[in-house]
Amino acid sequence: MTSLASELRGGQKRPALKSLLLNRIKERIRVKRGPLTPPFELEYRHVFVLPTRFGTAFGFMLVFMVLGGLNFNNNMALMLVFMLGTITQMTTLLAYRNLAGLLVDSINVEPVFCGESARFRVFISNKNERQRFAVQAGFKDALDCQDFELNSSNAMLLPLPAQKRGWLDMPSFRIETRFPLGMFKAWSWIFPDTRCLVYPSPASKAPALPKTGKGDAGKAVRGEGDQVHGLRKYQSGDSMQRIAWRASARHGEFYSLEMETPREESCELDWNLLNGIDAEERLSILTAWVIAADHKHMAYSLRIPGEFVPASDGPDHRLNCLELLALFAE
Amino acid sequence: MNSANAKLLQRQGDLWMVASLVFAMTPQLMSMPGHLIPITMLPVAWRLLAEFRDWKPMPMVLRVLATGFAVAALVMTYGGLMGRRAAVSMLVLMLSLKLLETFSTRDARVVASLSLFLCATQFLFSQGLAMMVYIVVCLLSSLVAMMYLQRREAFQNIAIVPETGRGIFSELGFGMRLMLLALPVGLAFFLLFPRWGSPLWGVPENALDARSGLSDSMTPGSIQGLFMDDSPAFRAEFETSIPGNSDLYWRGPVFWDFDGRTWASSYLSKNLPAETKPEPLSAPFRYEVQMEPTEQHWLFALDYPALRPQGARMTVDYQLITAKPITSLRSYVMASDPGFRDSPKLKQTLRKAALELPAGFNPRTAALIAGWRAETKSDSAMVQRVLAFFNQENFHYTLNPALLSRHTVDEFVFDTQEGFCEHYASAFTIMMRMAGIPARVVTGYQGGWYSSLGSYVLVRQSDAHAWSEVWIRGSGWTRIDPTAAVAPQRVNNGSVNSLAERRHLLDFAWLRDARNTFDLLQRSWNSWVIAFDASKQSNLFSGLGWGFWDSTKLIIALIAAIVVSTTAVILLLPLILKFRSSRNQDPLLRLWQKFTKKLTKAGFVSHPAMSPRELGSLARSQLKHADDGINQIVELYLLCRYSGFDCNQSRLAELINNFHPQQETT
Repeated sequence: MTSLASELRGGQKRPALKSLLLNRIKERIRVKRGPLTPPFELEYRHVFVLPTRFGTAFGFMLVFMVLGGLNFNNNMALMLVFMLGTITQMTTLLAYRNLAGLLVDSINVEPVFCGESARFRVFISNKNERQRFAVQAGFKDALDCQDFELNSSNAMLLPLPAQKRGWLDMPSFRIETRFPLGMFKAWSWIFPDTRCLVYPSPASKAPALPKTGKGDAGKAVRGEGDQVHGLRKYQSGDSMQRIAWRASARHGEFYSLEMETPREESCELDWNLLNGIDAEERLSILTAWVIAADHKHMAYSLRIPGEFVPASDGPDHRLNCLELLALFAE
Repeated sequence: MNSANAKLLQRQGDLWMVASLVFAMTPQLMSMPGHLIPITMLPVAWRLLAEFRDWKPMPMVLRVLATGFAVAALVMTYGGLMGRRAAVSMLVLMLSLKLLETFSTRDARVVASLSLFLCATQFLFSQGLAMMVYIVVCLLSSLVAMMYLQRREAFQNIAIVPETGRGIFSELGFGMRLMLLALPVGLAFFLLFPRWGSPLWGVPENALDARSGLSDSMTPGSIQGLFMDDSPAFRAEFETSIPGNSDLYWRGPVFWDFDGRTWASSYLSKNLPAETKPEPLSAPFRYEVQMEPTEQHWLFALDYPALRPQGARMTVDYQLITAKPITSLRSYVMASDPGFRDSPKLKQTLRKAALELPAGFNPRTAALIAGWRAETKSDSAMVQRVLAFFNQENFHYTLNPALLSRHTVDEFVFDTQEGFCEHYASAFTIMMRMAGIPARVVTGYQGGWYSSLGSYVLVRQSDAHAWSEVWIRGSGWTRIDPTAAVAPQRVNNGSVNSLAERRHLLDFAWLRDARNTFDLLQRSWNSWVIAFDASKQSNLFSGLGWGFWDSTKLIIALIAAIVVSTTAVILLLPLILKFRSSRNQDPLLRLWQKFTKKLTKAGFVSHPAMSPRELGSLARSQLKHADDGINQIVELYLLCRYSGFDCNQSRLAELINNFHPQQETT
């Protein structure tokens, strides 16, 4: 009984209330302050400035100093305090200026496997006639930080753990700065409409690839690999290690070794091969198979309920299969 | 890897934090007793070593031990933690010990901020012009430390730290710019911020390090110590003519009681009020004195003071004694009448006090005086005889007299025959008392340096002097300066110039002159900056025609001004920024934006990635009514944008202005 009550009071309710409030404020900002979806320029109405904890403490110290200075009618001390107060106040403007005018150009993100971190890259450029220092961006506490030179563009890296396969919507993030003295924080919320594709995490102990024997075995992929296929004339770009020195010496011109990777048989990756296993687990295993098959340069086909991808190989095929697996819905 | 950059950033923050603390505590270090200096500097040295050798924070036990040791040393030195000097020393020690554990950004910020607080406390001890340099150095170093700490905090989680964005010179320049920008506003606050007429809480008694200037007793050597001190005692600006140098006797503590070695002020004279005083209106000299803080109770005035400054009383021997010690710069108006006759009739009790001598001292002098007394009848003839004795015998006026033992006067008069003003004044007064003439010792300052630029008289501590007063029937208390009998140049040329020898290694006449001239700046600084208070503030306002403003009105006005300016900024800033941002853009783009805005208003949804033609054709398909207009505008815009010479911008503006798309009716 008591544990339930305490859980309601301390364990759950308060953070819920806090985040509810924060979400409401953020929603209001999103609605009222215009579209905050890249690309856009940070303007006065997007940038908020509030004192940091250090700034607040410093302010209290200044109040204390003013009282002391007034009491002793000590004019030098008062002058020092007034200078400090003015400088502190000016840093609010400097913090604002450090953000305002930045252009949030675009955000891109590469698909990741479930369990990895989605790495959102936010491209921000500075077109103004001033440098920006220590501009930070991030979701919660882990913030990336960059300086911006004149007319430069930087990518800020915002990692977010991907915990479910499918589409991962990029949550709102903030761009902030505490420049120059760390007493005030200027920040703005960005509400991106970017999403990241999360593939199922490849099963660590997947069964061996189901080999069917069909397909064009024996045809090898030339180029890279670990078996020597033959010689060819040296082309610029060929690695030094690949140069066939003996043959080159004999013919008076450079020859390099041509390598190949022998291709194995093709296979069919079929949902139905995995009967009796739970659906997510099946997706995991299929993902692991796709990766394994691709690694071995095998041709493979993929069959899941409602979808069939005919046998093929190459990066496009792999991405296509992985995407199907990521977005699979029963 | 870039860990070198991260390390550099880390180090810069720490080093500037330590620097700001060291700068802030320099004045305090210089006035600390010598043995506390190593105790204070050790943690600083440790922290610097730790920085360069990558040491860890000192273990808790050692820190507590060090703190306990430092506090014990402090308490033993100052005899407690009361008093400003002890309190500030405590602050310095604690801050320095804080360095032992200051390894995080947060702690470093605490130290950098408290250095500024420490800097403010130093103005309790000195507010001289030179402290301006101190204020700038402290402010700048703390600001730079905070900048580096901010940068360090921002980059702390980043694996790759870029080259430090700003070199130290640009950081310093940035700090300077911040200070310069803040100066006008700071000055406005300084002038307008309401001051308190009276302190909110008490000002502690022992405000200064030690009492400076003349004290409430005199032993051989006490004035001699002041003689080395060239700091200003007070400045006097005359409304009337300035008396000649030989009349500039600034009256201070008066001594009646002698115990064989030390002169002390008598309880009687300190507590009896003056019964008569000169008529202020007929006093020939009027002047305003601006007195440096002394921690003592005496105000100084030329003989004889005709006014009683506020908060001071006038004793029977015309000392001006304040109720509270003078802990800050103090100005008072004074009038003096040298022709005033002091006590034509002497009370019996005072007469007794002015004749008392301890038994068993100076037998040889007593015998000499007894002999003269038998030959000389009148008191004034006796005075002349003793003065002549000083003048004709081989007496020397010197800074380094031989030490005297028990019979101070005997040894001085018969053996050493060399001394400083206090020796002469003391010996003369005792000899008068032996002769049965009431006499007392007066200490104060004699002379002063007249600044023709500022037309005021500057009196330094080294002008301290002691003389004697004897009571002669008919003329009352009369000033006799036995030093003048030995060294008349002391009275005419001032104390320092009358010495043949140099007081110390750097004691040159030209240096003294330069310093005297420089004092003009210091004086203006004093009267314009340091002495600025509630009353001067209201004078300023009435001078500006704002009538009389008291602090309540000022506080209300201040709050109102803040509220009004904040509101104005909040309301106007968006407009200003909008105006500025639209002015910065090129005119074509502005026209195009106007056009797209009109389309958006009509319900057309565009996408930023669309090209003008795409946008035009999409708009044509969505908004059926204005298709021709849209086409024209888009084509003309493209011409203007890309062709250069076919541009007819005014035509485009006209088209766009006359463009009125209608709302989609479906």
